[in-house]
Amino acid sequence: MGTKRKMLSSTFALFMAMAGHAQNKITVAVAANMQYTMDALKVEFKKTDSTEIEVVLGASGQLTQQIMQGAPFDIFVSADTDYPAKLAASNFAAARPEIYTRGVLVLWSVKPGVQLDPTLKNLVSENIQHIAIANPTTAPYGKAAKALMEKYNIYDKIKSKIVTGESITQASQFIATSAADIGFTAKSIVISNQMKGIGHWIELKEEDYPAILQAAVLLKYGQENRARESKKFYDFLVSPPAKEIYKKFGYLAK
Amino acid sequence: MIEFEPFWLTFKLAFFATVILFLVSIPLGSWLSKKGNIAKTCVEVLVSMPLVLPPTVFGFYLLVAFSPENAFGGFLDHWLGLRFVFSFGGLLVASVIYSLPFMVHPIQSGFSSLPPSLKEAAYSLGKSRWDTLIHVLLPGIKSSLIAGVILTFAHTVGEFGVVLMIGGNIPGKTRTASIAIYDEVEAFRYGNANVYAVILLILSFVVLFTMYWRNRRTQQVRIL
Repeated sequence: MGTKRKMLSSTFALFMAMAGHAQNKITVAVAANMQYTMDALKVEFKKTDSTEIEVVLGASGQLTQQIMQGAPFDIFVSADTDYPAKLAASNFAAARPEIYTRGVLVLWSVKPGVQLDPTLKNLVSENIQHIAIANPTTAPYGKAAKALMEKYNIYDKIKSKIVTGESITQASQFIATSAADIGFTAKSIVISNQMKGIGHWIELKEEDYPAILQAAVLLKYGQENRARESKKFYDFLVSPPAKEIYKKFGYLAK
Repeated sequence: MIEFEPFWLTFKLAFFATVILFLVSIPLGSWLSKKGNIAKTCVEVLVSMPLVLPPTVFGFYLLVAFSPENAFGGFLDHWLGLRFVFSFGGLLVASVIYSLPFMVHPIQSGFSSLPPSLKEAAYSLGKSRWDTLIHVLLPGIKSSLIAGVILTFAHTVGEFGVVLMIGGNIPGKTRTASIAIYDEVEAFRYGNANVYAVILLILSFVVLFTMYWRNRRTQQVRIL
């Protein structure tokens, strides 16, 4: 009996300690493609601040839906600008969304025979049967890829070859497993530790597709519950040390 | 914009998967219903695997296996001219594997519930094995067969994860109703998503209702 009670009270004490700790913790909803970058950002932020950063990963669209349903997130780091703008318009934002970085579109293939041409001419060739892109209606990299194909007047010719991943991650999976012969993805993915050295890729010309701007937004929930900590991390996202990290992970400092 | 192609595709997929599984599961279920050794138990486990494996795992393995760069996918591509990634054929193969337990289990339990004397009587009256199966055994497990068909059809209509993983969302080929609904929700077009969902709900209700209603009298085995 004695030990049981002791265990119970020490468990209780542990929970109390954890609850006390939670005061100094913020929850950040992060677009899945920013996962590794966010790990590095957390390490950098830790050097100057004791605030715990808890990360919840998901597709930007899904996270936005969750926030609109009342999910307890302090900051939202999106992979585009539309979702943060939508949150701001629906009165979930505590401040105007801020653009923190810009993504780079690449053309990637793991098949040895496939040529990579920045003007996309060879996409019509017979030995390319499937071209993977992210969903152009929901994913910014998909939107950019479609715009690029349209710019080179090739989209209608190769429409039937296009396979759509629900996110940039899934489109990359199609390419990495060579289920698709070639595809459009993010530079941050092809230079990540997991994918480095797999297949070959080229960067596409920045002026050829609409800029893939990524914005973050400070949420009302964060403002109301942990104003100081939330604001500090939010400001850190656009600070010079953070920009160095974005560059290292395959993004352009905006 | 609401399109009807995803529904047509979904029901086509469910129909073919059900037909194939029906033909496969009768011999398989019959074999599994007899007492067996360790090998048979292994087969039983494999048949039940799709109940446990998350569709993402299953879909990923299929994606890798079907890829033309791998031995199996390469063989299909090179020798048979079949490409299973991003095609209706691929979805069909995936659905057949993924819905296997939903057809095999009811049929297997149907066969094991038949008294052995039934078969012995048919044999001793001079019926061949084939005649016995068609005229004695299968009518005897009619309700199990119907349960298997309904479950398989319904499960394939509702399939989502595997289709998402290996389909590639191609309109008219791999964009099924469940994927269309997901896309609409993702794009914040809740109205469209709702229309798709209601249509799917009504169609599924009608199909299942017709099957149950026609068989309201044969209900010795209740699976659902």
